[in-house]
Amino acid sequence: MGNPFIKNSRITIVYALAWAMLALAHLLMLFFVQDIEFEIAIADALIFNALYFFIGLSLWYPTKFISFEHSSSAKILTNHLAAATITSGLWVLSGYFLLSKFYAEDIFYLKFLDASLFWRFLIGILFYCITVSINYVTIYYTNYKEKELKEAELRSLVNESELRTLKYQINPHFIFNSLNSISSLTLSDPKRAQEMTIKLSNFLRNTLSKNEKQKNLLKEELNTVRLYLDIEKIRFGDKFTYKEEISGKCLDIEVPSMILQPLFENAIKHGVYESIELVTIKISCIPEDKYLKISVENNFDPESVANKGEGIGLKNIANRLKLMYNQEGLLTTKKLGNVYTANVLIPTQKAEA
Amino acid sequence: MNTSKIKAIIIDDEKLAQDIVKNYLKDKNVEIVEVCNNGFEGIKAINQHKPDLVFLDIQMPKINGFEMLELLDESPTIIFTTAFDQYALKAFEVNAIDYLLKPFSSERFDEAFERAVQKIQSTGDNSSQISGLIESIDENPEKLSRIVIKSDSKINIIPVEKLNYLEAQDDYVSIVTNEGKYLKKKTMKFYEEHLDPDRFIRIHRSYIVNVDLLKQVDLIGKDSYKLTLTNGQTLPVSKSGYQNLKELIK
Repeated sequence: MGNPFIKNSRITIVYALAWAMLALAHLLMLFFVQDIEFEIAIADALIFNALYFFIGLSLWYPTKFISFEHSSSAKILTNHLAAATITSGLWVLSGYFLLSKFYAEDIFYLKFLDASLFWRFLIGILFYCITVSINYVTIYYTNYKEKELKEAELRSLVNESELRTLKYQINPHFIFNSLNSISSLTLSDPKRAQEMTIKLSNFLRNTLSKNEKQKNLLKEELNTVRLYLDIEKIRFGDKFTYKEEISGKCLDIEVPSMILQPLFENAIKHGVYESIELVTIKISCIPEDKYLKISVENNFDPESVANKGEGIGLKNIANRLKLMYNQEGLLTTKKLGNVYTANVLIPTQKAEA
Repeated sequence: MNTSKIKAIIIDDEKLAQDIVKNYLKDKNVEIVEVCNNGFEGIKAINQHKPDLVFLDIQMPKINGFEMLELLDESPTIIFTTAFDQYALKAFEVNAIDYLLKPFSSERFDEAFERAVQKIQSTGDNSSQISGLIESIDENPEKLSRIVIKSDSKINIIPVEKLNYLEAQDDYVSIVTNEGKYLKKKTMKFYEEHLDPDRFIRIHRSYIVNVDLLKQVDLIGKDSYKLTLTNGQTLPVSKSGYQNLKELIK
């Protein structure tokens, strides 16, 4: 970290202005209170303040090397006391040397100068204290900012790795059962076997490529879902129907990739796998205030007792949404009679984060 | 070769999966007496036709293949057909003759079929299989989420949360819920091992209790306690049962 008074030109200007103000105050004081001649008062104010302007810049180094972390407080105090005495002494002496040279004939002024030395020395100490304090504050503030930045970086890194683990994972049983259906169709209906092979390949390709991206357009997500449902339709025939209610405005909204797939897999699992009745799966997408609202609903057999393994897909979705949008409660589910609904809210305005 | 045809039933919830088994059986000395879409249909068909051989899927609506087997009085020869490989061990515990992983080749299918034929022809009696079904030893058993019980002609599926307690009754276990009592031919040891140990505690040689319903425990004599459930029922607690309870509640 460099000297903030030099590193940042805006701060340098502020620093110079502060000294100009001090010089002005100095001048006015000498002229009006001490009755010093105007020209001499200007010289006095200019020389002393200009000198401290440069000394102040160099005070960065004692601050930097006398750090609070590595020494005892007694040591810090003595170090600064010594530095303050030397700095202030040097300042007063060099100022005195210059001014007494320029105005050697002015007895009145010289007398004043002699008498004011002690006070000037004390003021020098005060300046030292103020400058060093400002430097310390700057150092701590910068450190704090840096730490915060690092923490934020770390957090986003953790988020990213968490998001990676929460990614959609294809259900291997779906693949094997689909392959079994294909195997069966090759004997009975080769044309449909080919059709299903292509659908399954497209689905797999979509899933693999989409998992690389964090977000995707809703219409592309819907395409993947349709492929999935087409395949399940070949497996389960007339056991379910699928309906879409999608507002055209929604299609080009970005949503987390593969966020819909687990919802449909749940609907199929709890609706179709566990039920012997006809199941209707419906998706609706509506823009709502600052959100895109996606609802997936299915009817289920209320008597069927869910086997384990439920909830993990939903929990992953909820966690992903929370991490991506920095907001809780974006996934809600409800059971009403024999209809199960999962609602997902996708914030459509850029998050302030 | 025995001249009488082998009677077979196919149980699978996917039509295409049924089709391929039918297809592979086409030129064999087999009569497919029924094709079922779920475990309920399966039980009815098996009890009605008493088949020699059953092709059984595991994951099906209502009750799965294993649960269906539990409800049979007499088990035919079973060949499992499933996409799930994690049940293979369990399949052999219930004395399945083979375990076909979907999708399977006709060669692999024939192998399983031949094995089944040999078994069917060598033993006229399959009832020994059922005992293996009842008592299975498993190092790390999968915890039950529901229990299926046949009472009269009705099949009850009871989620484990609904159990109040289990009571030993000779060769059976009486399963007590708010709706009533059901008898199941299993052992207390089986349930002690297969129920979630954080919820079900063996409090006595003859009792396992659902601790969610625990209301209070009273000392009624030296080393003997009485447990009261939230519905007012009371059960005896033995000394070691009390230790088990204390460990869980602490």
